[in-house]
Amino acid sequence: MKAVNRLLSFRYIKWQRLLTLTLIVTAASLLFSLTALSLLGFYRGFTAYLGEEENIIAIYNPKSRTPYTSSVPAYLAERLAALNGVSATSPEVTAPCLIKDQAIFLRGVIPENLARLARARDINSAIAGKKVAKKLGLKINDRVLFQGVFADRYVELQVKGIFTSNSVLDDEVLAPLHVGQWLRGLDYNRVSLIRLKIDRNTVTPNEIFKVVAAESAQPTQPTQPTEPSEPQPDVQEPIIPWTTATFSLEDVSVEEAAKYMRSYMDRYGATREALITLSAAVFLFSSSTIILASKTILTQHKNEINILRGLGTSKKLLKTDLLIKLSPWIIAASFAGVLTASAILTLIQGYGYMQVLSHTVPFQLDPLVIALNLILAYTLVALSILKADLE
Amino acid sequence: MSMSLTFKTLTRKRGTAHSILAIALLVAIYASAKATVNYLDFQAEFLGGLVNPGATYIILSRNATSVMESRIDTQLSKHLTEVAEIEQVFPQKISTANMKTEYSNVAVNVRALENVENFLKYRGARINGTFAEDWFEANVGEVLARTANIALNAPLTLLNNGKTVNLTVAGVFRSQTELDSEILIPINAGCSLFAADDKRSFIEFTLKEGKNSVEALTRLAERLPPTVQVVKVQQPSAFIQEANMQTTAYLDVWSLAVYAVVALASYIVTARLTAESAYELAMLKALGARKKHIFTLVIGYTVLTALLGAVLGTALGVTAAQTASTLLRWLMPTLEIAPFLQTEQVLKTLLLTLASALLGSAVAAYRSARLGYVEQPL
Repeated sequence: MKAVNRLLSFRYIKWQRLLTLTLIVTAASLLFSLTALSLLGFYRGFTAYLGEEENIIAIYNPKSRTPYTSSVPAYLAERLAALNGVSATSPEVTAPCLIKDQAIFLRGVIPENLARLARARDINSAIAGKKVAKKLGLKINDRVLFQGVFADRYVELQVKGIFTSNSVLDDEVLAPLHVGQWLRGLDYNRVSLIRLKIDRNTVTPNEIFKVVAAESAQPTQPTQPTEPSEPQPDVQEPIIPWTTATFSLEDVSVEEAAKYMRSYMDRYGATREALITLSAAVFLFSSSTIILASKTILTQHKNEINILRGLGTSKKLLKTDLLIKLSPWIIAASFAGVLTASAILTLIQGYGYMQVLSHTVPFQLDPLVIALNLILAYTLVALSILKADLE
Repeated sequence: MSMSLTFKTLTRKRGTAHSILAIALLVAIYASAKATVNYLDFQAEFLGGLVNPGATYIILSRNATSVMESRIDTQLSKHLTEVAEIEQVFPQKISTANMKTEYSNVAVNVRALENVENFLKYRGARINGTFAEDWFEANVGEVLARTANIALNAPLTLLNNGKTVNLTVAGVFRSQTELDSEILIPINAGCSLFAADDKRSFIEFTLKEGKNSVEALTRLAERLPPTVQVVKVQQPSAFIQEANMQTTAYLDVWSLAVYAVVALASYIVTARLTAESAYELAMLKALGARKKHIFTLVIGYTVLTALLGAVLGTALGVTAAQTASTLLRWLMPTLEIAPFLQTEQVLKTLLLTLASALLGSAVAAYRSARLGYVEQPL
């Protein structure tokens, strides 16, 4: 310990040369953090698309390849709204469309859900999310032509408002349900999905599924709760009444909204763990550069190391000393990499370069990414120092 | 002679293989990501191609910011009928008007057509009542009818810029399109309501099934004035291309980080080379080699290392992505990913790697060349 202390005070490593190693570790950390934070951000954004809370349930078609191509009977919204424990229902249609040559998603909802669309007579209007309005240069009262992607249809809507929700909705245009159905090519009795807000103490997704199963066997007209003292669920009524229809139970599934979105990601092998592993692989691919940088440091200090060895310093002591001397630089470089990556992501997010399917990819600093980054960087440098031949 | 011998000596140094590998692994990161994204883009475009594209087009005035603002000459529809591939032509006037009924007074979209019946039939509408034929008749879309409580045979008044037209609801229709929230009237009623000119807002037309749209549109474009534009209504390909561009844009920004690491790696490769080959370089200088010779020698080494690294990395990246996708397919048989790189992407990767390597190594090479043989540590 005494020997280590003595060696520590002996400054034989030139900081200018250390800078190269620090820069390399920073760059590798930056690459890893950029990859991990954006991939995890995409994962988080996608799974939170319909809400992260456990009490948000989605009724969807499990056979659809994407959440945007799902289609379920709309009348189930009314039927399920009558259940005890269901506090709100929201039948929605997600329609990809083209506005001013830009790919945008329009979400058709029941107008009463939204303050700006509350006047039921605004049947040819829409409200635009803050980000989409900025991207397209939309202003209130502008008339905008929406071109269909799934259907050979167009519609011109007037922008009645611009909203901020600090969610994925900021990248979408909200319009009455029927507009979504036109552009998606669905008839008035079908929607992309139904979102329910439930009280888990009163009703479970499984019980809701049982009701759906009973409906698939024998559709019934929706019934409203009879007891006036009972709190009334937020029942949304469409302009054109939904009709009951038979459907196959295989075409309808009930799941927690976040799990539902996760199931789509899992289907393509994009689990959270897989994305972190992929990012770690990126770091490991740049590991060779870190090892090279560590070896270069040793080569550049060959004379100093030889003198110390000549004076009787053991290899073990020298390696321990090198590792201790390099540690603060590696830790600083690792953090610098993560922070630079965050700054870059914030910048490119602001410029609109961080988008997947016209939705901004959110990102936030993940402790796992920071820890993994530090561990990988330190391990790599330590291995290359400890395995070095200091003859 | 001595330069080429020294170059050979430098390339045969133990660290060369490691240097090539370091750059190759960095290039492989980008190559594998690009190859995977290429496949996903290709798959998205393929799926987009499965959407049966519609054959509906609209002609608008080029300077119009909206369909309602558009003004085009009625005579243009005659040019359309001259193109054999065009099946249906519907010149239309559309504007907002104030609608007064027994129960409501709201702003509505009013569309005036030469033949309301043909247009509604072409849109596959079902109607309760009859099609509007006379100047005093109107057809109302179901969404509007329900919203504004408009019944069959009910009277309604439309007001626009001081002009008033009294109409009777001849029929309420459902077309599952934007028409369901509008009022459709014959053009003679429209002329009484809107500006009495020979203009239309736009022309909607469809092509005959199975006809070559490119040929038809080329012939049509020859007949149209430059003041108008033809817009294809359904745009699956444009949407997918736009969505793919977003991924590509992010990947391009991300690749800058990869190339920055390549530049740094090249700096280290050069720094290590000059440190390890101090003796050889000092000897060359003692033999009379000039600064530019040393600089060229070191840069040549970096270029060779970067080039080999880029080639190896590209191959490694694509192979790694393909191997990973094969393994993934074994685990998830439904998941099929076949990553690939296009030739121009390979060339671009090689060039950018070389450029980054040159940029990164220039400083170290210059420093090494500047040192005299007396200053060179041996």
